[in-house]
Amino acid sequence: MASELVIKNLHASIEGKPILRGVDLVVRQGEVHALMGPNGSGKSTLANVIMGNPKYEVTDGEIWFKGENILEYSPDRRARMGLFLAFQYPMAIPGVSVANFLRRALEAVREGPRPVGEENPSGRPAPRKTIPPSEFRNLLREKMKLLKVDNSFINRSINDGFSGGEKKRAEILQMALLEPEIAMMDETDSGLDIDALKIVSDSVNALRGPKLGLLVITHYQRILNYIVPDFVHVMFDGRIVRSGGKELALELEEKGYEWLRPEGSEVAVND
Amino acid sequence: MTEALATTGFSREAVIALSRRKGEPEWMLQKRLQAWEIYEQTPAPLGRRGDLGTLQRLARFHFQELYPYLPADGNGALPAPIEEGLRDALVGASERSGLVLQRNSSVVRVELSEELRSRGVILTDLDTAVREHGDLVQRYFMTQAVPLATDKYTALHAAFWSGGIFLYIPSGVEIEEPILAQIWLDAPAAAAFAHTLIIADELSSARYVEEYASAFEGEQPSLLSAVVEVFTKNGARIEYTSLQDLGRNVWSVMHKNSIHEADSSVSWVMADLGSRLTFSNIGSNLIGNGSATELVGVFFSDQDQRFVIKSLSNHVGLSTNAETLVHGALADESRVEFDGMIRVQPGAQQTASFLSEHNLLLSKHCRAEAIPGLEIGANEVSASHGATTGQVDEEQLFYLMARGLPRDEAERIIVQGFFEPVLQRITLDSLRTRLRRNIVRRMRGGHESEADWIEAQERWEIEGVDEGAVSFDRPSEEEEIRLLPE
Ligand SMILES: Nc1ncnc2c1ncn2[C@@H]1O[C@H](COP(=O)(O)OP(=O)(O)OP(=O)(O)O)[C@@H](O)[C@H]1O
Ligand SMILES: [Mg+2]
Repeated sequence: MASELVIKNLHASIEGKPILRGVDLVVRQGEVHALMGPNGSGKSTLANVIMGNPKYEVTDGEIWFKGENILEYSPDRRARMGLFLAFQYPMAIPGVSVANFLRRALEAVREGPRPVGEENPSGRPAPRKTIPPSEFRNLLREKMKLLKVDNSFINRSINDGFSGGEKKRAEILQMALLEPEIAMMDETDSGLDIDALKIVSDSVNALRGPKLGLLVITHYQRILNYIVPDFVHVMFDGRIVRSGGKELALELEEKGYEWLRPEGSEVAVND
Repeated sequence: MTEALATTGFSREAVIALSRRKGEPEWMLQKRLQAWEIYEQTPAPLGRRGDLGTLQRLARFHFQELYPYLPADGNGALPAPIEEGLRDALVGASERSGLVLQRNSSVVRVELSEELRSRGVILTDLDTAVREHGDLVQRYFMTQAVPLATDKYTALHAAFWSGGIFLYIPSGVEIEEPILAQIWLDAPAAAAFAHTLIIADELSSARYVEEYASAFEGEQPSLLSAVVEVFTKNGARIEYTSLQDLGRNVWSVMHKNSIHEADSSVSWVMADLGSRLTFSNIGSNLIGNGSATELVGVFFSDQDQRFVIKSLSNHVGLSTNAETLVHGALADESRVEFDGMIRVQPGAQQTASFLSEHNLLLSKHCRAEAIPGLEIGANEVSASHGATTGQVDEEQLFYLMARGLPRDEAERIIVQGFFEPVLQRITLDSLRTRLRRNIVRRMRGGHESEADWIEAQERWEIEGVDEGAVSFDRPSEEEEIRLLPE
């Protein structure tokens, strides 16, 4: 059975400020959903809350993944269940090489959802099944070729000194490597030049299939020309106010968002 | 042995007894007595109002409960922990060109390769140097690099030094393989004085590696007082590396300083891991034109450890260069004070001096204080200094966790990454490995097994980290001063 991510009446706030005000959404393996909406409407918040960012407080609602309510799960457990988030602003981590980090991540994800160390009251991490460096290197090289990422990349520190576009490409490289069941791409297209957008889209399309569900957050129709969505949702003020097929994105391109503004909602600050 | 030396407590009688016992020339006795007088008259440094109070605590240490001198026991055999420590030294028997081993108050072993001996290199204990090279010792011992009146502790050191190492490298001699010194304390209630005097004559070079270690049980504390004086003549180069991994029942006070002639350089690498409390002073006096220095520092404190680290780059000559880079992590209730000074003397034109110090706080209860200072008396200067203190970044943690890494592992990886830029600057592989291993062990709360380590090590070795890709300065938080002539 296809894995399902089910969001029910999700409310979340940051520093006491409500951002999500009742989101309902279902993403299944094999489907591609686009999530659009004005700046500040809560798209990144939704992705972060699904991934378990502790910065946000969930005040109401549920998140189900593969039949489990994952609200109380740590971010790493969610990742190991098959969730992935390509960040809008990926963090730089100086001094930690991409290769070492990704090998670690791949081992963790392959290990599955059982939280490491849970059965170790000593706090010692359980021994991990390691991936031999040579096997890992080959796998990584293959994905790097797919995304046309330069070889020097693996020796660099994670996202440290990467250009905006390089960071985005690196996120998709990670996605390709970790093979999630449901992946969220938060504005992966912003900051990519035209060629890079093509490369990234091609790679994502290569990953498309019955085993991958995608939530593509974007402001632009352009990426949706490459990664054609099955569903398009529009978020406004922390709610999904309209859902439709791929033609909805075209309509938005033409008309903007204002016509979808729900009654009583304020004008967005940074729009 | 005379009574005053055999009982606890420092006294004038003990000074005289020590000098007599060593059969020292009159000038050294006089120097010791002069130092004793200064010790008695000088108040202990107490730090500033509102600092973390570590120097105050040091001042209250029960110095009078220490034995000022420990006679070496007869047969010269080394106790097992020291034998073992020597086997696991940072520089192995086949890799070093010389060895000095000091145990408590005495140098018990000195080795120097035949080749270096024949080229005029001198490596001896300091007592021998006083007898055989009195002129050099008289001229350089605690006169310029670490003058005996620097503070109360250096005065005590000058009055009671014992053991000690003397290294002279003749003009033009370049020593590739490191010289290793190990300083061991293996008795409670002991005061050990480790003195290192290095004179590098013109265009010579050497690598010197010093390890401070201890091997005794119990709460009764001992004191290690270390002074390192380095003189680099025109064009000489010294690489001095030290690892302080003393037991938690040892308090230590260290003063290290270099005096540079033209175009000479000293590169200091200092790692502080152990001891209950360490007061560490490190300085470079760039007197000769074109001289340069570098200080790479690493520390990791936990439990109730306290460190005070003071660095000074003193620019006197023209076109001198200094770079200070210190990274440290604090856990539990430990406290660290860092005081880094760049001083550019009037006339020291074309100075370039940089200092950055970063603290990572791993618990809510540890405290770090960093005070970078800058005094500029010249106008053609490029200098910047900066210090940061912060916790492990929650967003970085979330990023790694979102990729499947459990929290403790994510945290460990971030801490390892934090240290990596300084570790990359350490040329001695064995020290880099030792430090990485120490970091891994501490981050695992001491649970690390051999297998964990092999795994961690393998991680580092798969691809390594490209130094160029690592940024260790956070310019936004740095104060930049750039003065150029109109
Ligand atoms: N740390 C914070 N403190 C207070 N408000 C915050 C914080 N982080 C985000 N917000 C607010 O939450 C709201 C939603 O932000 P979010 O990043 O989810 O929007 P978005 O739809 O992804 O916007 P964009 O299209 O610009 O990426 C915004 O009004 C933002 O200002
Ligand atoms: Mg966003």
